[in-house]
Amino acid sequence: MTRPIVVMFLVLLLIAAGLGFYAYHLKAKVAADEQRLAQQSQMVVPPAAGPTTLVTLYVASDEEGGLRRSQINVALPQERSERARAVLRSLLSTYLQPGSTHPIGAGSDVRDVFLLGSDTAVVDTNAGFADSHPSGVLAEELTIASVVSTLNANDPQITRVKILVDGKERDTLAGHADLRRFYLASGIGQVLKDTQ
Amino acid sequence: MRCSQLRAVRIAAYLVVIALLGGASYLLHHSTVQAQTPSSTQLTVYTPQSYYTVPLLTLNGQAYVGLVELLEPLGTVDARPDGKKYKLKFTSPGARELEFQFQDGKDNGKVKGDKIKLPSIFAIQNNRGYVPLVSVSEVLSRALSTQIRLSLNARRLFIGNIGERFTLDLRKGEPSKLFVSFDSQVNPTIATEPGHIRFTFRREPVISGVDYTAFTDPLITGANFSEHDGVAELDVTGTSALMANFADGGKTIIVTGAPAPPPPPVAQLPIPQPNVPAPTAQPPKAPAGPRFLVLIDPAHGGSEIGSAISPTLPEKDVVLTLARKLQHELQSRGIAAGLLRNGDIAITLDQRAISANAARPAIYVALHAANSGKGVHVFTALLPAESVSARDFLPWETVQTAYLDLSASVAGSVSAELEARKLPNATLAAPLRPMNNIAAPAIAIEIASPSGDVNDIASPAYLDQVAQSIAAGIAAMRGKIPEVRP
Repeated sequence: MTRPIVVMFLVLLLIAAGLGFYAYHLKAKVAADEQRLAQQSQMVVPPAAGPTTLVTLYVASDEEGGLRRSQINVALPQERSERARAVLRSLLSTYLQPGSTHPIGAGSDVRDVFLLGSDTAVVDTNAGFADSHPSGVLAEELTIASVVSTLNANDPQITRVKILVDGKERDTLAGHADLRRFYLASGIGQVLKDTQ
Repeated sequence: MRCSQLRAVRIAAYLVVIALLGGASYLLHHSTVQAQTPSSTQLTVYTPQSYYTVPLLTLNGQAYVGLVELLEPLGTVDARPDGKKYKLKFTSPGARELEFQFQDGKDNGKVKGDKIKLPSIFAIQNNRGYVPLVSVSEVLSRALSTQIRLSLNARRLFIGNIGERFTLDLRKGEPSKLFVSFDSQVNPTIATEPGHIRFTFRREPVISGVDYTAFTDPLITGANFSEHDGVAELDVTGTSALMANFADGGKTIIVTGAPAPPPPPVAQLPIPQPNVPAPTAQPPKAPAGPRFLVLIDPAHGGSEIGSAISPTLPEKDVVLTLARKLQHELQSRGIAAGLLRNGDIAITLDQRAISANAARPAIYVALHAANSGKGVHVFTALLPAESVSARDFLPWETVQTAYLDLSASVAGSVSAELEARKLPNATLAAPLRPMNNIAAPAIAIEIASPSGDVNDIASPAYLDQVAQSIAAGIAAMRGKIPEVRP
């Protein structure tokens, strides 16, 4: 082989090695980005504009194994289902705060609340809400109870609640609590409020 | 450039492309190995005290078995993967702690400080250490001072000098009868089809020195013994339909001709009690009497790990350990107890409910573990209280309604026992599947750390206390809960 051919071969080999290194670097970068995104705490913030209203939240506590009633001021829209959604987003934002008494997965959000008749609310959560929810009988029950009780406390007409994930029905929240059923405010919430 | 130079450049370019393709193929292969999933095969392990099953993982075409899964039922296990290194400390009851050391991708390691050479490499998958199945006998015999025998093709492992042999005694007559006698009670699953009756032994370490025995009889022509897929099977062949009866307290199976009409083509008959006679058209015998069976359902399993108690400790493992302890505690109190899952297998929620209802237990106990909270929570189903009877036709989603009062009594009894042992506890109703679908008094127990430190959740002392509390609570309810006819 002549010298130019050897040089060309070496250059091509160098390019191949460089491309290999670049591919490896890209793979590592994607993995790191995915991990960073998973750990990133995406805060759900209710709309800040407009007059505020005193909202009642039933906040879960893993340590106490029950619900604790608290009140905060939140700017609420006029429309009933939008108000319900804003109330729930306020509730979730408390769970996403550092030092929460009932931490849930980062990025959890309520996509929509649909009202069926006057008494039934269908809460459509995003996939992150269920996918990253801590798994456990009590942990999942507390989340559902706090959603149902909070909705009922701020709109007493809502007495039945169903939770969807990404617009679809799901068997369980995170392996334990049943999501196929409608929850009665007089049922699940009462059980855990009694434990206070 | 000259023609020969052009050809050389082209060859060089091809070489580079081949190198790139090779690299890509390596990366793809690497990621495929990571994504390999466990195969459905299992290893059945027999010890002098019990039997259990361990899932097998297929890696590079070879069967591997998890060290933790293999050793956990035999004693206390503390496994610590550290990068590519894997250390496992094991203490069997009444023995000294011993250590296993292996390294991912290497075929040598140490057991009790002595070097051991594996037939192929040790593997770490998802922080769990796996040894080749073929090496299990040697690894265990180095660790346990007892006889180990592996039936590799049959996926059966015998720890200790155990093995349930049987004798065949054909008594000719009208009709002829084949007496299959064992030293102790057996409880096989029976399947019949014209000319065959098959006994499948999963729980008993049934072995035989003879594979096939031929008989010169107009009715019973032979008996074939085989081992496969973690079970032993005895297939008795005949010239017409056969049936079986149990005698001598379940130690003897009597095979004889079934009266006309012949049985359906294939019938699977799981026999819950060995002394229950097989169905027969002869003069009706008294039906099996009611019995008090507690069915324990360790939640999750297989790829469904449940809650991650710690990065190396999934909920599915904690609850299986607790389930085995609870079964032992109940049996030591004279209460029959079965496990719905006795290995690392995935079962759907509906399958759990179907299996539980088919077993017709007196009490159903689901076991869970959580990485948050503190103490023990005892749950009953969250259903509206309605006045319904167990004899009513109830929707699948609310079958448990008819048993809510009894379930609450069991929960209260267990809670009182937890209280007596000063274990923090609470009793609640929960929307937990599949409790709503259970047609029996049903409770679920979720254990969390006793101290707030999640590492304490799997402490043997804590699990023992919880198992004793549940067993004592259930024992206190015996007599108040109706026994159920199988």
